[in-house]
Formats: sequence, C-alpha cells, structure tokens
Amino acid sequence: MKSIFDGKLRVLDISMGWAGPLVGQMFVEMGADVIKVEDTHHFDWWRGSLSMAPPEMQPIERAAVFNTANRGKRGVTLDLASARGIEILKRLIEVSDILVENFSPGVMDRLGLGYEAVSAINPRLIMISMPSFGSDGPECNARGYGNTVEAMAGVTGLTGYHDSDGQRYTLSNALGDPVGGLHGVFALMVALRERERTGLGQLIELAQVESLIPFVADAIVDFQFTGKVPAARGNRHREHAPHGIYRCAGDDNWIALACETDDQWRSLASALGLERQAGDKRFANESARKANEDALDAELSRAIAPLSADDCVARLRDAGVLVAPVNSAAAVMADPQIQSREYFVAIDRAVVGTHLYPGAVARLPDTPLRADAPAPLLGEHNRQVFAEILGMSDDDIAGLERIGVIGSTPRQHRVA
Amino acid sequence: MRYRALSDVRVVDLTHFIAGPYATKLLADMGADVIKVEPPFGEGGRKLGPHRADVEDRGGLFAFLNLNKRGVTINLKHQRGRELLAGLLDGADLLIENFVPGTLAALGLAPDELIAKFPRLSIVSISNFGQDGVERDGKLNDLVLFARGGWTFPVGEPDREPLTPPGSLAQYVAALYGAVAAMQALAARDLGLGHGQHIDVSILEATVATMIYETVTFQYTGIVRSRAGKRFAVGPFLIATLKCKDGYAGLHCVTDKQFEGLCDLMGRRELASDPRFNSALNRMLNNDALLEIVEAFFIGRERKWLYREGQRRAIPLVPIPRVTEVLEWEQTRARNYFETIDDPVLGRIRVPGTPLRLTSHRAEASRPAPRLGEHNREIFGDRLGLTDAEIDSLKKAGTI
Repeated sequence: MKSIFDGKLRVLDISMGWAGPLVGQMFVEMGADVIKVEDTHHFDWWRGSLSMAPPEMQPIERAAVFNTANRGKRGVTLDLASARGIEILKRLIEVSDILVENFSPGVMDRLGLGYEAVSAINPRLIMISMPSFGSDGPECNARGYGNTVEAMAGVTGLTGYHDSDGQRYTLSNALGDPVGGLHGVFALMVALRERERTGLGQLIELAQVESLIPFVADAIVDFQFTGKVPAARGNRHREHAPHGIYRCAGDDNWIALACETDDQWRSLASALGLERQAGDKRFANESARKANEDALDAELSRAIAPLSADDCVARLRDAGVLVAPVNSAAAVMADPQIQSREYFVAIDRAVVGTHLYPGAVARLPDTPLRADAPAPLLGEHNRQVFAEILGMSDDDIAGLERIGVIGSTPRQHRVA
Repeated sequence: MRYRALSDVRVVDLTHFIAGPYATKLLADMGADVIKVEPPFGEGGRKLGPHRADVEDRGGLFAFLNLNKRGVTINLKHQRGRELLAGLLDGADLLIENFVPGTLAALGLAPDELIAKFPRLSIVSISNFGQDGVERDGKLNDLVLFARGGWTFPVGEPDREPLTPPGSLAQYVAALYGAVAAMQALAARDLGLGHGQHIDVSILEATVATMIYETVTFQYTGIVRSRAGKRFAVGPFLIATLKCKDGYAGLHCVTDKQFEGLCDLMGRRELASDPRFNSALNRMLNNDALLEIVEAFFIGRERKWLYREGQRRAIPLVPIPRVTEVLEWEQTRARNYFETIDDPVLGRIRVPGTPLRLTSHRAEASRPAPRLGEHNREIFGDRLGLTDAEIDSLKKAGTI
C-alpha cells in the first residue's frame, strides 16, 4: 500500500474556484483518481480571464492559484449545456465514488444532476454540495466567494486597527474557501467510513459560511456574556502588552512581538537596551502597560526602528519573547523551519515551468500524502479518461470534439 | 449538534487550548466516543475567555470546544496514571495530542512504543512547528503565528503597520488538518495497512498552506503582494471593503459579467466599455480609478440596498455584519444553525452548530462540555472495571 486509496477511489470534481477544488486536490494527495470536469465555455473561473494575454500565451494556463488547487487531477471538458455532455457526465458518475460541486443552489437540479437523480444512477455515490450560504433559507441564492463568506461569518467585522474609524479589512487569503474545503474533506472521509458499513452513499450539504462561524465562537459567546459588541483590537491583545507590530530598518520590514508575562517584558527591555523604560512605573506590570499602551508602543517603535528585523528577532527570541518577522510570501518560503521540513515541493507544469508549491500538511509516515503532480491543462486528459473509463474509441472522441461537446480550446462565454 | 456517523470510533483526547480541542470536537460532533483526558488541575483552555462575570475557571470557549466529549482526569506523571491511560488506549482508534514535541516520550509514552503496543492505534500530534526541524521548540501565539505564516504582511494600509487577523483563526485551520488526518489514518488502516501510524501536523505549515495566493503567485509573477488598504489586492478585479452610508460592504467583482453588473448597479453602463475598464487587464491597470468611482457610489448608499441590488445582478456583494448580526441573521435562523446549549456552569449559550449536514443521520442535541473529572467514575468504573474504592484511593493519591 503506497497511498491511502492507491487509485481505488474515484472523485469527480465539477467545482470551481478554491473551496471545491481543494477537496479534490486533497483526495489526490491520498492517492485517489480525481477527474476535474470543466466546460470550454465556462472553464473554472480561477483560471482567470482570457483577456489577460494573447491566445498564444495561453493566459488561462498561467493562473498560479488554479495550478495549485488542481494539482494531480486529470482534466476533462464537457459541455454541460448539451444533452450529450450531461449524458457523458452521468456515465462518469456511475463509476465514481464521490461527486464534488459548489454551484449556486438549484443549478444541479436544473442540469438533471440533483442528488435523487445521481443516487438513482449510483447508490454508492457520496455527493457533497458546498453552497456559500446553504441550499435553503431566505438568502440561499446570494452569491458569495471566499471574501464574502468571510464577511458574512463575522470575521471581517472583527478585522481592523485598534484606533481606526471603523474601516474593516478582508483577510489576505479568502479564508472562507480553504476552510470550506477542509470541512468538505473531513465530511467526505466520515461518509466514506459510513459507506464501508452501510454500502450506501449520501448527500452532504456544507454551507461555507457555517464552516467559518465556529472560528469566531469566542466573539459570539463574548457578546452573550457581556452584551457588548466585541471591538476590533487590531494588533493588540485583550490583556497583554506589549503586543504589536513594529517597523524595522529597511523598506517595509516589520516584526511582531508579544509579552505575556512581566518577566518577558523585563527581558525584552534588557535585550533592546530599554533599562530606563523597564524601571518606569507606567510599565511596571501588565495592567499598567495595558493602561499606557500608546506610550509603551511609542518607546518600542523608537527602539526597534533602527534595528534590522533579523537582529531584532534574534535578540528577542534569545530573551524568551514571542517574536517573528512579518513575512512576505517570499520570506515565508525562506523561513528556516519551513525549509528544514521541506514543506514546499517542486513541480514542473506545462506552459509555466517549474515552481515550488505548498506540500501536504499532515505527515502520514506509512501512507504519505503526495502533492507533487501538476494541474491539468484544459481538456488535457479527455482522450485518456474517455477511452480508459468509458471505453470510447478515437472516432467517438473525435466526433465529440467536432460537435463541441469536448475540447481543449477555451471559448468566450456564450451570450445568453 | 451531534450525529452518530462515527459511533464506532474511540478517541483518547489529550489536547488542550484550541487547535487540539477543535480537532477532537469535529470527531465528537460526528459521533465518535471522545474521552477528554486532563490533568487533575484541568487543561489550560478551561480558563480561556470570554468569561461570564464571576466565573473564572470555565470560559465560554471551553464550553463550546468540548461539547460532546466525556471528561476524565489523570496525572500522567504517576505510574498508575499512565496505566490508566494505557487502559483507555487499549481498544482505542485514535490518540490526539497537542503537547510540545517530546512531551509524550518524556512521560514514557513515546508514540512509536504506544503504536507497537496497540497496533490499531493512530496518534495525531498537532504542534506549533511540527515534530522536527531546526526551530521545532520555538514559541508562538496567534499574533506571531499569523505574522510568520504570511497572513499579516499583505493586510492593512500601505502607510501603516501590517494588520493581524483577529482571534485564533489559524489554530482552527490546523485543527481541521488534524481531524482530516485522523480520518486518513483510520482509512489507511482499514483499507489494507492494518495498523495505525503517528501523524505529524505543524500549525505553522497549516497556516502557510492557506496562503497559496501568495507563495505560488509571487513565483509566477515576481511580484510580492503588499498592503492595498481597503482592497484585497490590486489585481484584475475589485475585491474591497467599502464604506457605505450605514457601515461597510464587501464587494467581490472578478468576472466580466460581475463587472457589467456593477456598472449597471451604479447606473454607469458606459463604464463597461470604457477603455480604462473594458477588460480584466485594463481593470488591473486602472484599479485606482475604478476604486475611486465605486467608493464614491457606495458612500451614498445603504448596506441593505447594496446587498439587494448587487445580488439581484449576481454580484457577490454583502453587508459586513458584526458578530452580533451573524447571530440574528435570518439565514442562520431559518437554517437553525446556532444551537442553544445548557451548560452546567455557564447556563444557556447560543453556539455555532455543526457545519456538516449529513443526510444519513438526524442531528441530535449536543452533550455539554464536561466538568473537570465529571466522567471519572463512569469511565474508570465501566470501561476499566475499577471499583469505587479503587477510584477513591486514586483520587486520594492525586492520580485522578
């Protein structure tokens, strides 16, 4: 056994963006055969826009995000607006274990692919629907993506500077997406285990917003205890000070540091040569520092500004203070711990060449997860998949290409 | 809320604070039999805020994160304590822990030895930096983790310090990787491997894993994304948090169709063919000008109006709620998402329900988080066969 599924599990991924595709990608890591289905008109929107570069540059094969979230899948195209396309998809459903979709509610039913229809074709199929806000309820038809899901979960409302006028900020990573995807993988693993017992598949519904709300449970409960709406605290902490981000020498270099005890504060002061401040009554203990945090931050900012981030991090780490550089993407990849565990993996992908991609997170020594195969080009595996799985002949496939049911050339969206 | 899908799975839970307990909560919500093992003085997470006035030793987050688990206390520094733990591990499928690496081995409970002794057991270790590596033993808190993992650098105003995300979001992400890994270990064992394994999840790597926008994109483009203020980034889109008449609204305008919808919403359909904005590429090159136009429009409109009119045109445009509004949102209400629990100490609280809706089972009400040692008698008596007198003497010795 080289991997958990050793190719014996088939996942049909008709989702787009990040949340759904991440589900398929994590099943690739486990050794499943994951087939990504796109439409040459409505290809995965995470491939970006055809307008970004001339056609010979193949702009939609150059999207870093798509090329990450779809690694190791086999890519096919099907025109889902045509009866023939739906028929072929149903034949794939018949021989698959899992179907992943994240269309708006109602789309699968309109395509004739609602759960009742697909389970009639394949009762062992586990289908997961991942709408943004749910498949029912008064707002179920509202459009949402990672950032909008993040807002509706209450995260954005908590993200702002401690001294701002109320401006809120969206996180840097569209958190609603990966969190929805991770919950989806977990749910599918549970359903697969059940299927071993019952022999039956099922429908799982996962509203992405509902998967992110638990992450702010503390704020939700806080409000119920105190009656007060939790404020955006910015880089500050409810109890501890100092707790913030400070500019270092050079261009846009910063460190984050925190002291959770008086001892840490005293060793920070001594590491930065702030003996006078260490003896200052305003900073003598945590509640005093919290009460005089603006003054404290001003002292620290002055002391840290001339130092390099590396020097500052080294000094404070030695002093036992919680500290890290505020890493840009490039710096994250150069992080000594990330490098020493060889977290990133190199992959050579057609059109774009070789780059480093984030590896699988969990390390399972006896059935290692693999995230080292490239994402498919649009329709790259049409021939392979339709011949191998559905037994189509070269003529069948050429015929489908001719009538536009499959293809590997992206086309502009049809005008409705 | 709780399902019974994993009712055949036994979990011994040695976790504390957030990343570990949320991982085991996911399993417990799916019906796994999760026994939370704490030291006799309680795990640190019991005291995490928020607090109800005058209740210091049981915070609101603990009451949420430990729903559907049963709780025992064991002092693992006592030989007899380790024997009790071994009794619980006998027949268990999973041991989940988030101690500092090396802690289990120092207690004489080295993971490899435990798996040798209990071959069907898998151990999931969730730790700040992973079980090895040059900086394995460093310290972290949320602020430092977000900064190091790359989440913080691109957020905030260009002329100000980067802005950290709120709360402990990345701890929950790591918890998810841990819970998925637990299920992966069970699948591997039952699909042919035949035995358990020791799984290593690094919270830092889980944090970095969600930054694919950054780490891969910058290699493709050579551009390191920096802070773009109210915008998510400057790109071939307009994703921004914009002030409106009565608060803020979140706009996600990416595709041509969404942009045409936005122009229509603003009563400015001519902008869709304006040479500055008539393609994704041009919208990137003229992003500042586009932002200015949209901002000026939003400031005069109310959130509700923007939401309704935006969604009518299939634009992902939402009001930005405060957490209090999330609790009262008609969508979560209609779907009965929040669950009212009756905590034995904190009373009635509304907490997030399980986001996973299985159709194979009916959801049941959650069991409240355990009081310290609440199930000692039940577990040590029924499962390990200890008599009341034995349990009393363990208690007297400080072992439980």
